[in-house]
Amino acid sequence: MRKHILTRLILLILAVYFIFPFYWLIIGTTKNVSQLFQKSLLPGIPNNFLENVRGIFTYQNGVFFQWLANSFLYAGLGAFIAIFIACMAGYAFRRYDFYGKKVLFVLVLGFAMVPIYATTLPLFMLFRDLKLIDTKFAVLLPSFVHVFSVYLMVAYWNQVPEEIFDAAQIDGANDLLIFFKIGLPNIIPGFITLFMLAFVGIWNNFFLPLVVINSRVNMPLVLGITTITDPQGFPVYNLTLTSSFFTILPLLIMFIVLQKYFRPQLYTGR
Amino acid sequence: MDEITNEMTDKMRPKKKMNKKTVASIKAYLFLAPFLLVFITMVIYPIALGVKLSLYGQRGARMWYIGFQNFATIFQDPRFWESFRIPLFLLTVQVPLMLFFALIIAFFYEKMEKHGGKLYRFIYYLPHTIPAIVTGIVWSYIFSDSMSPFRPVLDILGFSGAKILARSNLPLILLVIILWAFTGYTAFIIYSSLIAIPKAFSEQAQLDGATFWQIAFKIKMPLLKGVLITLFIFNAIGAIQVFNEPWMLEQLVILPSNYTPAMYIYNSAFAQGRFTYAAAMGLILALITFLISLYVLRNATKQILTGETQELP
Repeated sequence: MRKHILTRLILLILAVYFIFPFYWLIIGTTKNVSQLFQKSLLPGIPNNFLENVRGIFTYQNGVFFQWLANSFLYAGLGAFIAIFIACMAGYAFRRYDFYGKKVLFVLVLGFAMVPIYATTLPLFMLFRDLKLIDTKFAVLLPSFVHVFSVYLMVAYWNQVPEEIFDAAQIDGANDLLIFFKIGLPNIIPGFITLFMLAFVGIWNNFFLPLVVINSRVNMPLVLGITTITDPQGFPVYNLTLTSSFFTILPLLIMFIVLQKYFRPQLYTGR
Repeated sequence: MDEITNEMTDKMRPKKKMNKKTVASIKAYLFLAPFLLVFITMVIYPIALGVKLSLYGQRGARMWYIGFQNFATIFQDPRFWESFRIPLFLLTVQVPLMLFFALIIAFFYEKMEKHGGKLYRFIYYLPHTIPAIVTGIVWSYIFSDSMSPFRPVLDILGFSGAKILARSNLPLILLVIILWAFTGYTAFIIYSSLIAIPKAFSEQAQLDGATFWQIAFKIKMPLLKGVLITLFIFNAIGAIQVFNEPWMLEQLVILPSNYTPAMYIYNSAFAQGRFTYAAAMGLILALITFLISLYVLRNATKQILTGETQELP
């Protein structure tokens, strides 16, 4: 029993470490700059939360809402298409014995861990030639590839028993019908899990938009909030903190609502 | 008559089989087509373009072929090799430390399963869900001398002259930030493997009077070897590619352009306009990453192609 108390104590201390920055961020959103400089661990008095919210909502004619919409577009559409594509690819690996299967699989996995720092620069050159730099496509198109999801999709498809496909085939269903009507319903939980992981991955991706986006109207939140300055070009700490809070809020809400689908995977990355 | 049909079917069988495989291939590639399209245009082609760029010299918009000259220059560029200092520090200090902590925490999760283990798993995992850039903003403010809640404490203790956010403290600060961001995730992954270990492995030892920690380290840890190696590899790759956290810290401390390899690549391309040189460095980074990840890739390929169903947590 005494050991349990020690364990609890250690877990509690660690919990403080993991929670502290969230706490500090939240109390930070209630302070103006001079209150931030007071270095207190309590919320600001008077409470400036609404003032800060008004500050970011009206900043540059409400460009914040544009960033928010962009983040949802990039992460929502990007993750959906990426995972749907991966789902189809996974189905092909699961169902068919085709020419080049092994080579293709090794090739796909081999490129799964290519660092974005190696691909983004050539992508920049490619998009520049295609006049796609500083457009939403420059962020969306690379987001459609999520290589590890193909690998994980194959694993999910492998869990669907062979008999289900065989039965459908004997009934004369064609392959597309089998995929949509028989296969997909079995894959939905895995689909949601991978969609969430891809969504978070794109939402949080900073480097790609940093390289391919220049105009504020096309920035996602993670990039936009780093550009907040006053008219003289100095950082405005309270607004950066408040917008940081609103950047992570959708993720935290999704995380809590869809908790049962949330299964962290060993294989993440692009 | 029977013999003839037998002979006929025997002769026809290989042909028929081939046909079947051809049909399957057509179907398979139709399902693969969307993926292959984006994979080739957004991953393969950029790499190929990167290879091509790396073989060119460049001044402004003018480019000319120079063979492997860029690579020769990189190998003699001390600034490139210096940029590996932070990754090396993370690899030798942060990664082993984190794996050790995460392993202990995973055992705690198991031990406290009925005493709030789930809540702790949730709390410890939270930092991994938020963008690295927000992590960078919040922690860099927490450590900045104008806003840090630690500042008054240090002043009282008599360190009023010492800056928190000084260049020399940065490795330590990065350590705190990266441990914060990834330990919960790592512990969760280890825990997922831990609960998949059949009870039978520990039951006998339990009967023999072994304690929880004896079972944990003597019996369970060896069974976690695979997942620990894989985590080590992924974290090694993460260490080599660290970018966002120092990028945000740079808003408050002056950092050299080659503070990490990824920062050096970015700055060479976009601050100095040396695109082809940066492309060559990117390829070297990709090659190092690929070599480190070979072990994982080999295992993953084996797992799927032999049809062995992978344990999905």
